[in-house]
Amino acid sequence: MPVSRREFIAAGASAAGLWLGVRVPELAAAAPIATFDPNVFVSIAPNDVVTVWVIRLEMGQGVRTLLPMIIAEELGADLARVHVEQASPGGRFRTVRLHTSGSSSSSDTYRQLRIAGAAAREMLVAAAAAHWKVDAATCRVELGAVIHGPTNRRRTFGQLATAAATLPVPRTPTLKDPATFTVLGRPTRRTDGRKIVTGRAQYGLDVKWRGMLYASIVRSPTLGATLKGFDAKAALRVPGVRHVIAVNSGVHHGVAVLASDTWTAMKGRARLHVEWEPGAGAGFDSAEFLRGMPQRWDGKLYPIRDEGDATAELARSATRLEATYEFPFQAHAPLETMNCTAHVRETDAEVWVPTQSDVRTLKQAALASGLPEDRIRAHHALMGGGFGRRLFADYVAEAVQLSAKLKVPVQVLWTREDDMRNGYFQPATMERFRAGIDAGGRLQALAHQTTTSELTIYDLHDGRNIWTAPPKPPRADNAIASGGSPWGAFDNPYTVPHLRVDCADATSPVPVGPWRAVEYPSTVFGRESFLDEIAVATGKDPIALRLELLPRDVKLVGTQRIDRARLAASLEAVRERAGWGTPFARERDGRLWGRGVACSVYHTGSYIAMVAELSVARDLSDVRVHRIVAAVDCGIPLNPLGVEGQVESGIAWGLSATLLGKVDFVNGAAVQGSFRDFRVLTIDQMPKVETHILPSQAAPRGFGEHPVPMVAPAVANAVFAACGKRVRSLPITAEGMRRA
Amino acid sequence: MPTYSLTVNGRARTVEAPADMPLLWVLRDRLQLFGTKYGCGIGACGACTVHVNGQAVRSCSLPVAAVAAARITTIEGLSRDGAHPAQQAWIEEDVAQCGFCQPGMIMEAAALLRARPQPTDGEIDGAFASHICRCGTYNRLRAAVHRAAELGGKR
Ligand code: FES
Ligand code: FES
Repeated sequence: MPVSRREFIAAGASAAGLWLGVRVPELAAAAPIATFDPNVFVSIAPNDVVTVWVIRLEMGQGVRTLLPMIIAEELGADLARVHVEQASPGGRFRTVRLHTSGSSSSSDTYRQLRIAGAAAREMLVAAAAAHWKVDAATCRVELGAVIHGPTNRRRTFGQLATAAATLPVPRTPTLKDPATFTVLGRPTRRTDGRKIVTGRAQYGLDVKWRGMLYASIVRSPTLGATLKGFDAKAALRVPGVRHVIAVNSGVHHGVAVLASDTWTAMKGRARLHVEWEPGAGAGFDSAEFLRGMPQRWDGKLYPIRDEGDATAELARSATRLEATYEFPFQAHAPLETMNCTAHVRETDAEVWVPTQSDVRTLKQAALASGLPEDRIRAHHALMGGGFGRRLFADYVAEAVQLSAKLKVPVQVLWTREDDMRNGYFQPATMERFRAGIDAGGRLQALAHQTTTSELTIYDLHDGRNIWTAPPKPPRADNAIASGGSPWGAFDNPYTVPHLRVDCADATSPVPVGPWRAVEYPSTVFGRESFLDEIAVATGKDPIALRLELLPRDVKLVGTQRIDRARLAASLEAVRERAGWGTPFARERDGRLWGRGVACSVYHTGSYIAMVAELSVARDLSDVRVHRIVAAVDCGIPLNPLGVEGQVESGIAWGLSATLLGKVDFVNGAAVQGSFRDFRVLTIDQMPKVETHILPSQAAPRGFGEHPVPMVAPAVANAVFAACGKRVRSLPITAEGMRRA
Repeated sequence: MPTYSLTVNGRARTVEAPADMPLLWVLRDRLQLFGTKYGCGIGACGACTVHVNGQAVRSCSLPVAAVAAARITTIEGLSRDGAHPAQQAWIEEDVAQCGFCQPGMIMEAAALLRARPQPTDGEIDGAFASHICRCGTYNRLRAAVHRAAELGGKR
């Protein structure tokens, strides 16, 4: 089961209830007696070392910087001298879930960590006041010390640690007024920057355990193919190859070659002869799948939104518009391919794994080894990119199975081709929009038909696999909307008198999983492109049209409160910062230039408007994006440097999908298999990015995903402005522009 | 299995490896120099970039037999504790996100700065054209190369 956002928050809350006074016997025994260890997130040693345990997993989004910042702020510690440790499941953290998804790290932990820091601060202050025999109210904290104001006496946290450890933990410590923050809100560099630039940061493969074997696995060549048999003779003749073993992750059957080193394992693998039995997805063709997609709207529809009577209004509208937008299958392609190192012994096991999910890792490891979860120790390595792919733990099942069989440590490494072809994909989807416009040029009705694909949780951990699982039971009518899905369709922020959104199921045999921003990239591409088409049809400025459709109020959809005033404010900000109203030469340097806009809300908490400025070659042979301006309201910006970094990262990610990469399936197999045919953005294609963070007092909202969805529509709209070609299918290619 | 005497980060190292084993896997699996990364194995991403006789090369595509007599430098040997101007500049500009591509990027930057102490944007684009950063840190990376040039990138 995926961890739903609601369960996840509940887990955080229960953890918040338990952290106070938590002392884990074995840890307490190991630690020096005098260490001040008031809760699971922070401890202070007599030598002044403040250790902060990071309870989320780092994949580049900056949690190893941001979470310590939150604690340091309330504690009054010197962030530069805080020692940052990654939490691992079990032991001290057995009540904490580290599962990291949905850009929720900062929003979920903000309050919890502030309380943790504040409680520790109050105990240190109380210890100092008792030592000096003064009123605690006359003391303050400053960079790792308590100061007695009237006499200027000073004791460091380390000097106070032993005494503080004996005091009761305050249950409702006083939090700082955000207006007095000195750490949060300041642009702050990452805490592990030096380790990364010296090559000492430890990722998945960066361990070598005694007696470890290296595995390379050949997996099902077509979707759902099962293993019929294999001939290992040639592989076993390669010097250094030790074993050839069948393996099964629930998603793929495979045959593993284990050797003394990675290279030898790969060489052995190349000499394997494997016979496969084609499965249900053997004939799958993605082009055909997309062509057939509109027919799904003639079948079962799940209602998502229904306000007014869009059907009747469309029938009587003076002008009607209709358009369909297409989003292809996408690979995650993090630069670090999937991998896991496992050592299964008689009664316990250890895994070293870069993953977003401790929960799925432990479940997979338990099922694959037969050991109970509490006998498995998971070490969370730094991830070389996550992007949603590492929410699954199929690679853990492989390594654990092999190690359980051989009783030696095993390291499984997926090659780039494995990673591209045998992973989980962003599902191909389609969006159809119809608009009814009255004689006065006002948008009266909007009908959005969207598609959704059930996440393929065919991990071993839920007891199912992709070859044998019976079809999932049909979903209840309200199953999709009640979860707030599809994102971007459910939370469409615009006010239209008659609005209807319906969703058809578009599940395919392709294993699909969350990809950066999940459903938003497709729904927002369609929605924001279509608004541009409405603007053109009604002769309105695209930003003015959006502002017209965004009253400065809070729109309630289900339980979601969409603050349309914040979205409108980001549009106004981007209009000004991008120089939207200033003259813009359409023809320059022999190229055609255009600007386009798009905006969206992300789970009610963050609001972005984006303007792309680009040029198209006269013969439509290429698109060059020169500049992207983003106006961002993500609540209190906890680390502006991190926010800017995520905007740039999201833009690069979005541009890769807008202009370059996609995955096609032919005869049940992914066509693209490397960075040569699945292209991603490189430095020469990176536009200038200007990020404007709007001041906000709203609760902070994580930011790893939000910048992605606006990129494609802003670019598509700018392409139209430049050359009059409306491209409704991604990626935007020369061929696509010529056909449009 | 043949034996090779390599000079890695100024130290003589002896390794046993098949002649076709790429330098990348010799560094990682034999010498436990984990700073050099695997991203594609076919010279298409740059994660495995090291210096061979001062030139930036893709260690995934270079058999160990070809570098037996050469001087090899990896990210671990670029400087003592991150003192190289490129490393300093990378920290100052807060380039890294997931960081996985960055050792390769820094090795490329160090080689570029030696050849072109004040590189232009065009030269930076050229040098990094086949490096992939899936986290999209390109703008900060560019700023960091310029910053490293200011800090005195020719070393
Ligand atoms: S691993 Fe060598 S270039 Fe990608
Ligand atoms: S920082 Fe993640 S790949 Fe470059």
